[in-house]
Amino acid sequence: MNGWTLTATAALTVGGGATVWGVATGPLRRRVVAQNLSTSLACPTLLLLAQGYDRPSYVDLALLLALLGPVGTLVFARLLAEDLANDPPRAWGLTYAVAAFGGGVVVTVCVATGPGRALVKLLVVGALLIGGNLTASRALAGGFTGSRRG
Amino acid sequence: MDDPLIVVALLLVAASASAAVATRDPSRQALVLAVLGSRTTVPRTDAQRMLISPRVSKARWSPWDHEGQPSQVP
Repeated sequence: MNGWTLTATAALTVGGGATVWGVATGPLRRRVVAQNLSTSLACPTLLLLAQGYDRPSYVDLALLLALLGPVGTLVFARLLAEDLANDPPRAWGLTYAVAAFGGGVVVTVCVATGPGRALVKLLVVGALLIGGNLTASRALAGGFTGSRRG
Repeated sequence: MDDPLIVVALLLVAASASAAVATRDPSRQALVLAVLGSRTTVPRTDAQRMLISPRVSKARWSPWDHEGQPSQVP
């Protein structure tokens, strides 16, 4: 076990446990936030594992998760729009913290990877991860009110 | 059990699957199942790594030893 896998294990233990607990208990607004943050935490974990196990193919999984995770959250935001209208979730502190963690992991892995095609792929993953996370959080908080009218 | 990451990932999968079973409301159950789907990514990649890794596959899965002779598998 090296530093990369140790960090991935710590992130999976703390973040994964918190998101499973958050999505299984409490009001609906906490559950949707936990669901959104679970994909935002799994993506940096896969990037850390790709570096720790020296398997660049895991970056493709992270890219797929960074792309499809916010899409799933947007589907939930559309599905639960009526239930969330009266009590919208507001967890911007957690959202920014997870986005900062993802950005930090992406920058660290970029430094370890060095210039090349893999660096471009990592930057795309980072942009999708942070942008998708912020967009999905804004949709959950009711930021895109026009989308509720279909 | 040598790698704590696999233990943590499998525990999270078991916990989220149990939470999905215990949740009765379909929309909330869908949220738990979404988290379960993202949680299964890590043990799946670990299983893939164990199966593909030449050292591990040679030691655990191949019926041939390092000299090309059939190993004594009971």
